[in-house]
Amino acid sequence: MRLLLSIVLAVAFGVIAAQSQSSQAPSSNTSQNGALAGVASDITVVDLDGLKKLLQRDPKEARPLLVNFWATWCDGCREEFPDLVKIDDDYRTKGLSFLSVTVDELEDKRLAVSFIQEMKAKMPVVLLNVADKEPAIHTIDMNWDGALPATFIFDRTGAVVYRHFGKIKPEELRAAIDKEVSRKQ
Amino acid sequence: MKKQYAVSLLVTSLVVIALAAVAGSGRTDNDIPAPPTIGTVIDDFKLPDADGKEHSLKSLAGSKGVVIMFIATKCPVSNAYNDRMEKLAQDYKAKGINVVGINSNNTEPAGEVKSHAAEKGLTFTILKDDGNKIADRLGATRTPEAYVLDANMKLVYHGRIDNSQKTEGITSEDLREALNEMLAGKAVTKTGGAAFGCTIKRVS
Repeated sequence: MRLLLSIVLAVAFGVIAAQSQSSQAPSSNTSQNGALAGVASDITVVDLDGLKKLLQRDPKEARPLLVNFWATWCDGCREEFPDLVKIDDDYRTKGLSFLSVTVDELEDKRLAVSFIQEMKAKMPVVLLNVADKEPAIHTIDMNWDGALPATFIFDRTGAVVYRHFGKIKPEELRAAIDKEVSRKQ
Repeated sequence: MKKQYAVSLLVTSLVVIALAAVAGSGRTDNDIPAPPTIGTVIDDFKLPDADGKEHSLKSLAGSKGVVIMFIATKCPVSNAYNDRMEKLAQDYKAKGINVVGINSNNTEPAGEVKSHAAEKGLTFTILKDDGNKIADRLGATRTPEAYVLDANMKLVYHGRIDNSQKTEGITSEDLREALNEMLAGKAVTKTGGAAFGCTIKRVS
């Protein structure tokens, strides 16, 4: 009985320790990392081929890539954006690349630009300009039907290892990023 | 006594393990059940309309089929489709296909659904899906999102209305094409389509 009890307790503490470690946010050093990059002042317009090129992983650099899709008309996207800016600040020097993709219409680019400036976003932001969105949506992930916001992590090989539709849960996303940036090549 | 203590400690430990496992499973919006595959017969369900009057899906379906449309009051994409949805409902009613709207957003109460429909001229029945039970059952994730069921309640199409939020950009009217094929007794060629839309705001 005593042996069984010891095993159960050991497993319980092990699970708790693993949980607290994986969900722990990295230390905040926003200002230090943030100073390394300027504030995004414009948005590059890309077509589907342009987006595909941006998603390709460079085997030499081989950093995991966080991609967030948003639009100025999407409430949840605007609400989660400050958390994404913080995540970008925190992980920029820890081995994470970040691509922000707005799916606003081309004529609304000005709205998107003023939004990212207001957010003090530093990650590269592109506007996806395609007549039919379906091929682009399915290029990203066949499990995605276009619900916004949508957030993905691509691993070093370019495979989707994390997906979240709807507003991000920052702790959950940070844990997923931690897992990828700490993964040995 | 010692044994009792050990047993209670064991039970407590197991509860702790279970709680830790649940906390770590990271339940997310992605845990929404997968939608039924094309060809699945959809079980009938009942939901209240914005006045609280309960309807079964079968009672609202047309003789040839039904279009279930997940819609929203606040989503700009769903709102961009209001006129197109209403026109579609009018065009196909006489052909035996009825449109039924469902609002599953927990942020949009029945009163708002009613006033929104009146303001935007939506005349088809809109059901209020409190607790997003039907959105979960059908694996719906966004607004607008359409499901077409034939006369036998078999799912023949699930996806977008067309390819463009702005009417001038429409080049592929996927939903209408599916309805026309179904009415002609043909198999639906394109059984779905992706488009950007607002996430359905589920209860947490």
